[in-house]
Amino acid sequence: MWARAVRVRFLAAPHRGRGFASKADPQGKVQAAGQGTHTPRLAPQGGGRVSAAKIEHLERLALVNFGSREAVARLEKAIAFADQLHAVDTEGVEPLESVLEDRCLYLRSDNVAEGDCAEELLQNSRQVVEEYFVAPPGNISLPDMVNKIPSPTAE
Amino acid sequence: VLNRRCVEAAVMTGLALNCHINKKSLFDRKHYFYADLPAGYQITQQRLPIAANGHLTYGTYIGKKWSQVTTKMVRIKQIQLEQDSGKSLHDDLRAQTLIDLNRAGVGLLEVVLEPDLCCGEEAAVAVRELQLILQALGTSQANMAEGQLRVDANISVHHPGEPLGVRTEVKNLNSFRFLAKAIDYEIQRQITELENGGEILNETRSFDYKLGFMPEPNLPPLVLYDATSLPSDADSQQVINIDQLRDMLPELPSATRARLVQQYGMLPEHSFTLLGSKVYFELPKVPYPVEETTAANNEVGLLEFFQNVIKETRAEPKKVTNWVLNTFLYYLKQQNLAVSERVQTSRSSVIRQAASQGSSENPKAPGY
Repeated sequence: MWARAVRVRFLAAPHRGRGFASKADPQGKVQAAGQGTHTPRLAPQGGGRVSAAKIEHLERLALVNFGSREAVARLEKAIAFADQLHAVDTEGVEPLESVLEDRCLYLRSDNVAEGDCAEELLQNSRQVVEEYFVAPPGNISLPDMVNKIPSPTAE
Repeated sequence: VLNRRCVEAAVMTGLALNCHINKKSLFDRKHYFYADLPAGYQITQQRLPIAANGHLTYGTYIGKKWSQVTTKMVRIKQIQLEQDSGKSLHDDLRAQTLIDLNRAGVGLLEVVLEPDLCCGEEAAVAVRELQLILQALGTSQANMAEGQLRVDANISVHHPGEPLGVRTEVKNLNSFRFLAKAIDYEIQRQITELENGGEILNETRSFDYKLGFMPEPNLPPLVLYDATSLPSDADSQQVINIDQLRDMLPELPSATRARLVQQYGMLPEHSFTLLGSKVYFELPKVPYPVEETTAANNEVGLLEFFQNVIKETRAEPKKVTNWVLNTFLYYLKQQNLAVSERVQTSRSSVIRQAASQGSSENPKAPGY
């Protein structure tokens, strides 16, 4: 137990994370890009700061709002907490993707069993125009409230 | 839950496109937010798809007169099963998007080609051949106008010998004409931009590679069998036998064309025309433009018609070929008709005309 604790602390020592760019964060501090770490994983080690560019990007993709320095700090602490996973040596172990991996994939026969419930489904929406659901134009980021993302499937 | 017919369709399409069928393939979730994706993720097979490393052979014409045809090949990177999203219509006037979810979740086959095509025309012809193959297999009706076959084109330019340039993407092309025009336009735009010292920006790309990908937890790996690996006690409804599907493959367009050439002694380019491979290039000799959908539909049923004429008139095949491809087809395009319309109304008289006319050039004969 003592040895394990030492190992975790070692990994949480101030290695700067790989994958964080050398950019100034909102407070004007600059962090160095990480050197090689001891684990084969690419994820950042504990104590790393998340750059402003990455925060902005996350906000756009995940539609959340890191409104304050505290929120960003909370994010960084969460990442550091998750880094404890590196304490486990997974050398040569295949990742488990699903507890169903030994099961057979069930193939459903091509029969229509349900449907024809357009009326009912359309009632789920507050606003409907001629059998279409109405949505705002594109994704709106919470911080900006401006549509910036090009749609991946727009026609 | 995975639909069995979708898997069969994927395997058959993979076999028809000379792909290696992966006996084990995996499903992933691709996460992104958009109104036409109600679940917030799309199930796809990016990591390990059902088929890979195939090729599609298509005919291209030498010279503008389409008098000689040669075959080219485009490599198939992979074929994957995935879910469709809903359809979105943008209403910019009212700053809203209208969403139709009818096709959300429906199974899709995505065929990814390698960048072996060099211009809009090659792309259109290759896609047309793919359309003919899918229709012959019965895996899709592949009607572009109805959205059954959609094309996303990735375009880049580079100097010969140098690596591929930055690519831009044009999405959801749903007509051959637009496909070819959009590609040629983008090629020209990129060349002009680069020659003026500018650079090509890729917005979709930067959006794509950061998308959340994770293995689909609800779908175990898809395992396919062949005659040697098929377990003897297997439930036939729950296993897919690649060899069995291979045996069931119908005659593909390339085989049909070869058979026509061999059976009726026609030139290869005639076989291409009979199968309607010349999609929008066959411009009629009339002063007004023909709607593209009509032009493509002119050829639907043409082969069957040709074979009926051969059978019922017992005329010399070369004469029939000449009459159908010149006189008859010209008449159809002039009158803006589809083969099926003409054949239904005056079938026997048309065939009698064919027999009597031989190779004459008179489309206005009585009986039409």
